[in-house]
Amino acid sequence: MKVPVPIPGIQIGALQHQRCHPSKEKDMVKIDLPKERQHDWKEVMLKKMAEVLEKYRSVRLFMDICVKCGACADKCQFFLGSGDPSNMPVARADLFRKVYKRYFTLGGKIWGRANEAEELTESVLQDWVTYFYQCSECRRCSVFCPYGIDTAEITMAAREVMAAAGIATKYVTEVVAKVYDTGNNLGIWSPAWKDNCSFLEEDLKDTEGLDIKFPVDAVGAEVLLVPPSADNFVNTNTMIGYAKMFHAAGISWTTSTYCNEGGNFGLFLNYANLKKINNRILEAARELKVKKIYWGE
Amino acid sequence: MMAKFLFIILPYVSAAIFVLGVLYRFWVWGRTPVPLRIVTTPAPRTRAGVVWRLIGDALWFPNLFKGEKLLWAAGFSFHTLLWLLMLRHLRYFLYPVSGWVEGIQALGLYAGYFVPIPLAVLFARRLVCEKVLYISILGDFFSLLLLLSITISGVLLGVFFRTYLVDVKAMIQGLIHFHPSVLQVHWLFGLHFLLVMVLLIYFPFSKLMHSGGLFLSPTRNQRANFEERFVNPWDFPVAYNPLNLSTPEKYHQALAGPKEGTKE
Repeated sequence: MKVPVPIPGIQIGALQHQRCHPSKEKDMVKIDLPKERQHDWKEVMLKKMAEVLEKYRSVRLFMDICVKCGACADKCQFFLGSGDPSNMPVARADLFRKVYKRYFTLGGKIWGRANEAEELTESVLQDWVTYFYQCSECRRCSVFCPYGIDTAEITMAAREVMAAAGIATKYVTEVVAKVYDTGNNLGIWSPAWKDNCSFLEEDLKDTEGLDIKFPVDAVGAEVLLVPPSADNFVNTNTMIGYAKMFHAAGISWTTSTYCNEGGNFGLFLNYANLKKINNRILEAARELKVKKIYWGE
Repeated sequence: MMAKFLFIILPYVSAAIFVLGVLYRFWVWGRTPVPLRIVTTPAPRTRAGVVWRLIGDALWFPNLFKGEKLLWAAGFSFHTLLWLLMLRHLRYFLYPVSGWVEGIQALGLYAGYFVPIPLAVLFARRLVCEKVLYISILGDFFSLLLLLSITISGVLLGVFFRTYLVDVKAMIQGLIHFHPSVLQVHWLFGLHFLLVMVLLIYFPFSKLMHSGGLFLSPTRNQRANFEERFVNPWDFPVAYNPLNLSTPEKYHQALAGPKEGTKE
C-alpha cells in the first residue's frame, strides 16, 4: 500500500502548545452556556459526564470495548502531521477514558492508576482543552477500528462536558452565536444578503445579458436553497451557478435571510446548539411554505 | 482443601460472575439510548445487510485488514484458532459428544498447538512498536499473559503431562449436574483450570467484552436508511434566548410586514 505521508515516530507533547483561543463572554451568553469557566467546573463536568454516559450508548460502549490494538494510531491527520502521541485517536479517547474509569467504573476506583484511571485535575483538563480541540471529527479512525469506535463521538462528548462548565473556544462559539443573530456563520445581515443577491442579478445582466433572479425570502417558492453562506459572499460564481441551474430547470426557488447557511458549528460544541442550528432550516422552510429543501455544505 | 476450592467452589463462583457480569454489561449498554444515526459508510441499507456486516466484522476483521496487515494476521489467526480450540473443548461438556465436535477434534487439537504463536506476536508487538507501547496499559499485558499461560499450559498438558481425560470429563459433568467431585490430577492441570477460572472472572470487567460489544456498536449495527426518520428518545425542544436577534418569531414578523421597496 502506498503511504502518502511518512508515519512519524512519537514526539510527546509536540502539539501541546497549540491551543485554541478561549471563548468570549459575549458569545457564550448568546448560546446558553456559562459565560466563563465555572469555579466548580470539576463537579459540573462530572455531572455532565454521567449524563452523557446515560444518553449516548456510543460513548459508554466505546469507553468499555477498546482493546488498544493501535489500528487507529497512525490514521489521524493530527498525529501524522505532528507525531504527538496524544493525537492518536486511541490516546485522545484515553484522555476521556481515564476520567471515566476513575469515577464511573469499579476497576478504576479500586485499581486507580494501574488501571489507567485518573482524577479530573487541572492538568487533565488542560489536556482535554488542547487535544479535544485538535480533532476535526472526520471519523477516519472509525473506518479502521475493528469495532467501529468513532473518536468523533468521544470528542463531541468531551466538548459537551467542557461546554457545560463554560469551557469552549472562540472560533466555535463566535460562529454559533452569529447564527442566532444573522442566520449564517459569516455574520451577513439580511440587508447585506439581499444587496448581494441584487448585485449578482445586475452582474449577470451586464456580463452575460441574462435576466435571472436571485429571490430572497420568497414565500411559496418550490425550493428553499440553503447554501454555504460563503457562496453569496466569496464564491459568488457558485451562487450564480445555482441561479442558472434553477432558471434552466424552471424551478421557483428562494434563499432565506433566516437560514442561509448549511454548515453547522453546533457539531463542534454541543447537542443543544447542533439541534438548534439544524432546526432553523425547518423553521425557515415552514415560514416560506416551500415544498423542498436543497441543502449544501 | 485446595482441591475442593479449585474444583468445587471456584467453578461455580467464576461461572456466576461471568454470566451475571456479562449480562450486566449488556444491560447497561442496552438501556443506553442511541440518539443519532452515526453509521460508518459504506453501510448496508437493510437489516439483513447489517447481520452480514456484523458476522463479517466478527469473523474476519475487514477494518483491520484495511489498515495494518501484521495486526490483522495475528488477530485473525488468534481468534480463529481460539474458536476451534474452544469448540473442541465442548467434548468435555457434552454427553454424548455430538458428531460435529468429534469431527473437529483433530483440527481443534492442532489449533491449540499453534494458538500461542499469534498471542506471542501480539505481545511482542505491544513491546516493540512504540505507538502501541505508548497506549498499552497493564490490563492489555495481563490479558495476553493470561491467554498465553492458559494456551501454553494446555499444549504442555496435551503433549507432555497427559491427563486422564475420563476423570476430567467426569469432574465437569459433576459440576454441570450439581454433584461436584474433587479431581486427583497433575498440578499443571490444576493451573490450567485455575487460569481459565481467572479468565472467566476477569472477562466481564475488562476489554475482553469487545467480543459482545461489537454487536451493539452503533457505527456498525445501524443502517444507512437515511430516508427514514430517526427519532432521538431524549430529544428536547429548542429555545431561543432573549439576546438572540434572529428568532423564528422575528422572522415571521419580518415576512408578514410590508415588503421592502414597496414605497417606491
